[in-house]
Amino acid sequence: MGDKPRSEAPLESGIRDRIEDVSVKLSRTATWSGIETQPSYSPADVADLDYARDLGDPGQYPYTRGAFPEMYRSRMWTLRNIVGYGAPEDTREGIERALAMGSAGISIVLDTLSQEAIDPDHPLLSADAGQEGCSLPTVRDLEVLLQGIDVTQTDVAWHSTMMVYPLVVAMATKQGRDLSKLQGSHMPDHLQLRLAGWGEAIMPAALGHRTTVDCVEYAVRHSPRWALGCPQAYDLRERGLSAAGEIAVGMAIIKQTLRDLEARGMTVDQVAPSLAWVSAADIDFFEEIAKFRALRRVWARTMKEGFGAQDPRSMRLRVACHTAGRSLVYPQPQNNLTRAAVETLAALLGGVQSVETCTYDEPICIPTEEARELATRTHQILAHEVGAARTADPLGGSWYVESLTNRVETDALAMLDRIETMGLIKAIEDGTIESWMDDYNYKIKRELERGERIIVGVNRFVPKDAAPPKRFSFEPARMQAHIRRFTERQAARDRAVLEARIAELFLIAQRRENSHQAMIDALIADASIGEVWGTVRVANGLPYDPFRAVESPFRYSGP
Amino acid sequence: MTGAAMSVAPIRCLLAMLGTDVHSKGIRTLARLLRDHGVEVIYLGEHNTADGIVNAMIAEDVDVVGLSYSTATYLIHTRNLLDKMRAAGVDDVPVMLGGLIHPDDEPALLEVGVKGIFGPGSTTAQIVRFLGAVTGKPIAVDAAAAQ
Repeated sequence: MGDKPRSEAPLESGIRDRIEDVSVKLSRTATWSGIETQPSYSPADVADLDYARDLGDPGQYPYTRGAFPEMYRSRMWTLRNIVGYGAPEDTREGIERALAMGSAGISIVLDTLSQEAIDPDHPLLSADAGQEGCSLPTVRDLEVLLQGIDVTQTDVAWHSTMMVYPLVVAMATKQGRDLSKLQGSHMPDHLQLRLAGWGEAIMPAALGHRTTVDCVEYAVRHSPRWALGCPQAYDLRERGLSAAGEIAVGMAIIKQTLRDLEARGMTVDQVAPSLAWVSAADIDFFEEIAKFRALRRVWARTMKEGFGAQDPRSMRLRVACHTAGRSLVYPQPQNNLTRAAVETLAALLGGVQSVETCTYDEPICIPTEEARELATRTHQILAHEVGAARTADPLGGSWYVESLTNRVETDALAMLDRIETMGLIKAIEDGTIESWMDDYNYKIKRELERGERIIVGVNRFVPKDAAPPKRFSFEPARMQAHIRRFTERQAARDRAVLEARIAELFLIAQRRENSHQAMIDALIADASIGEVWGTVRVANGLPYDPFRAVESPFRYSGP
Repeated sequence: MTGAAMSVAPIRCLLAMLGTDVHSKGIRTLARLLRDHGVEVIYLGEHNTADGIVNAMIAEDVDVVGLSYSTATYLIHTRNLLDKMRAAGVDDVPVMLGGLIHPDDEPALLEVGVKGIFGPGSTTAQIVRFLGAVTGKPIAVDAAAAQ
């Protein structure tokens, strides 16, 4: 360098910097969750592994290698395309378009108000109605959304927790359908809401947990074909958990739920076959595959050894997977197609039963049509070209994957033990689990800022002069009409019947009995979700409206 | 915390979310990062009303307010908060925004009175520099030195 003309030096170093910047290199030897990795693995790393005890054939206990013997040859995974925005009419249109595009089923997400059981005419929150999901405050709105669809024939998957199941049962009851044939699924895990940002104000831990237990009990007794996505570990993972942490907190929730159901006289074999784990597929390919395998093993052993399950369907865990929204980034969003494709492949090689692949524009807005179509095509490429469906557990027997499966399981069981020693509800109420999540997020953020962890487009390889991404938008006119219609209907109801149902609900909720039938009856009498849940809140000593802006329109009298 | 920075009152920053938004991961992480820089964080968390935030601003005598959004209604909520701040006479307190803020909305947000916008890709260092500039108080730019 010294003998070159000085004027060339900046150019030379500029080129070197650019070569440096585009080069592909190993920047990290730990997994994304932080498990250190060796340069290579050999049989010595899994010397203690016993095939029959620890793995089993696919479809055999402990189901490490998959829930079914032939996996995708006998049951293909379900491609989920979640739809939801605006008024029920808007979402219905979106569903029709998703079906036309090749979506295998109907999956619906509700707006942020409905997910918190707040009515769309709330004086402070109306602007949020129809955002990020469908506004669904009454049975009448559900009737518009699912017009012409028989819920005992067609499987509708609800990516929501609060009030969804009572709404569906209320509609089916009004239509005179046989509840024992009710199809579909939702995610009754109210406890995770407390951890995933609903907070103590919207969903107190103790009330949330009791509501989960009530919902599972009611659903299993009345609609045994209805699937329950519980635990809803996806939101927990997104909030700030490692792969092992997802297993630990999710298992703590399901174990507490099963113990409380046992106390009500139910057995694990009545409940567990209806359950499915709602999971995330994050960005670390091998770690996620190991997680799904470890998860099935932990579940099987817990059900058999911990709860005395005898029915194989109780021990055989089905997993509903969503690729990790948190792994997707805003800068140069097209790169999210690559991320979501790799995550989807990890989920499939991990043997999940359904996958919802995030659209590449998820960090920006509600999915655009184009992005939704590309997410569907990702599945089709994996199914038809890549060979993801060909054989069960294709990475089983890899020394690395088996070793990582063991490690994720060990870490998960250690964390589960810490939670159970404290007591799950207490560990949530006193902020312990939230502070673990904060620690996890903080550590990652610090590593990113120090360049110790790289996310392409965020802290390295940042795109220059990137145009702002396109946004999804929808015509607000229907939403405005929907809120007007809501208010008009409220005024036109049979007040005497409504008040009688609400009074009944209040007494049952106050006695801490399972209030699901009473909630359903109130919904049939055209109570809104805000009124029904608000009544349950008052019965539990909470303000009717968590924002304290709306007074209850009902007078409550105790026993 | 370095001795020099301790000798004056630290920056008091209120962090909160408005409306039904539940995505609190970002703002909770920011709370910790700002504490590393010696900022006193008053963390109100999710599900606040504009009135609740204004009351807390007055009670806690804060130097700056930070809001985080993942829902698309941030312009409406922010405009409403700034109106309430004006009505209460605390509109001299600078407001900064973070989260999923689309670049197309930045002019409208600045027009309603937002002083700092830290959308996707923003760094802690940018926020720290902003806090020092708008409050006129010293702030440890290097978190490692502050710890």
